[in-house]
Amino acid sequence: MEQELIAALRQRDPAAFADVFATYSDKIYRLAVSLLHDEQAADGVVQDTFLALIEHIHTFEERASLATWLYRVAYNHAQTRLRHQRPQVDLDEWADDNIALPEKMIDWSTLPELLLTGEEAKAQIMTAISTLSPSLRAVFILRDVEELSTEATAEALGIQPGAVKVRLHRARLALRETLAGYFEEIRGEEWTAKH
Amino acid sequence: MDCKTLITYLSDYIDRELDESLAAEARDHLATCPNCSIVLDSTQKMILMSKLTGQVAIPKARRERLWSEIEAAFNERNAAD
Ligand SMILES: [Zn+2]
Repeated sequence: MEQELIAALRQRDPAAFADVFATYSDKIYRLAVSLLHDEQAADGVVQDTFLALIEHIHTFEERASLATWLYRVAYNHAQTRLRHQRPQVDLDEWADDNIALPEKMIDWSTLPELLLTGEEAKAQIMTAISTLSPSLRAVFILRDVEELSTEATAEALGIQPGAVKVRLHRARLALRETLAGYFEEIRGEEWTAKH
Repeated sequence: MDCKTLITYLSDYIDRELDESLAAEARDHLATCPNCSIVLDSTQKMILMSKLTGQVAIPKARRERLWSEIEAAFNERNAAD
């Protein structure tokens, strides 16, 4: 299926190209907007990525993964824009491999569905994700939102699979902790960790 | 297994990437430790909520404009070859 699509793309088939845009534009946009927090800049990343595809279609190998290639190009373009936005941010700062142990032990996973899926909770999640460093955020989006495998994420971001796992773990614990703080306020009671 | 070790392996446990003996130790610990069970449940819930919340799409008008620009570049490139 993917091989046929790539073959059609190499033939510069307009329908195949339209297909790829329909399938991947939102995915690329989500990664870009989560990294850049700027809708216009994220649109720019989508455009950059598809223009790169137009330029490189003929060099594309049929065995390659189109999704991984597109994510990788998009990530590189987003990084370039991010450095431009905030030159002082080091995308790969993550030397600290001490993982903070969970502190907030409130059991908010049993809160009523409405509280967990309402607009306020959604806004809290988006805010929590935005407080992660860009390198953790990219891994979290690709693994837990887009559901890419560890290997595909590693390839898309140009890092080792082991680094994907470490970053995903750190991102999840950090997000859990941030959300626990929010739901703790909602529930207004505290559980004390006993270890 | 103690709490610290459980937390270290939490993501591997969620992703079912622990080998069976470690997974069994993790299950034993979770069965007797309310705190770690809460951390597990709330982490899984957080992942689910992020999946749902994260599914944003490019708004229609911007998407159409993007596509017309990209399609024009595609056609132009095809015409040039
Ligand atoms: Zn424990």
